[in-house]
Amino acid sequence: MRRLLPLLLTIAFRLAVWCLLTADLSRLNLWIGLVVALLLPRARSRPLPLGELLRALGRSLLAVPQAYLEALRLMVGREPVEAEISEATTDGAIPLLVFLDVFRITLTPFTIVLGLEDGGRRYRIHALKPGPRHGGLTP
Amino acid sequence: MSLAALADHASLLLLGAGLVFWFWGTWPLLESRSYLSKLHALSVADTLGSALMLLGLLLRIPGQWPLLVLALVALILWNTIFGYVLANCSLASRLPVRREPPP
Repeated sequence: MRRLLPLLLTIAFRLAVWCLLTADLSRLNLWIGLVVALLLPRARSRPLPLGELLRALGRSLLAVPQAYLEALRLMVGREPVEAEISEATTDGAIPLLVFLDVFRITLTPFTIVLGLEDGGRRYRIHALKPGPRHGGLTP
Repeated sequence: MSLAALADHASLLLLGAGLVFWFWGTWPLLESRSYLSKLHALSVADTLGSALMLLGLLLRIPGQWPLLVLALVALILWNTIFGYVLANCSLASRLPVRREPPP
């Protein structure tokens, strides 16, 4: 299952894009889409842990409403200050998980991934943090 | 109020909110700020603002939903990853270049 999962995911994703692009769910069109999805070249993939993948997908989806909250905070909140932080990768050896992590972190307006550091074990992140109150001292 | 009129009003609201996001995020480009803080503001404008506009269009032209959904997904993925690429490129120019010692 772990070995078959990347193939199934790739085919399903390509077929979904094909169906959206053609907006046609007739049997013939589905067969053409399947053939196209199989014929397009695939990257050499590694076995995927299903649990980790579902968790990463869920966190990526949750990042969308969170991004809107952060955007509103950025628009009405205090002038933010810049900082650099780092966060551990979920699994630096699996490209799909790195992609989902980078997507999740960069989507929110407060944080942007700058790159990997420490040999692919941590993300280097540029972050905005709420600034000091007006007239107050920085903590 | 009928459902169609409600959808019409909601789509206007979404389009307007997207426009506000656009202007708010594009304005910092003209100011003298750091490159990366401009990129933070741009992610508000480009990704989130445009997504709101597409949702507004989705309510307005529901017949075209497959293409609009495809555009929405492509926009969010592409914009976000492009933001990461730009940030990563800025990193390369900030780091000192490690040169081989001359022989």
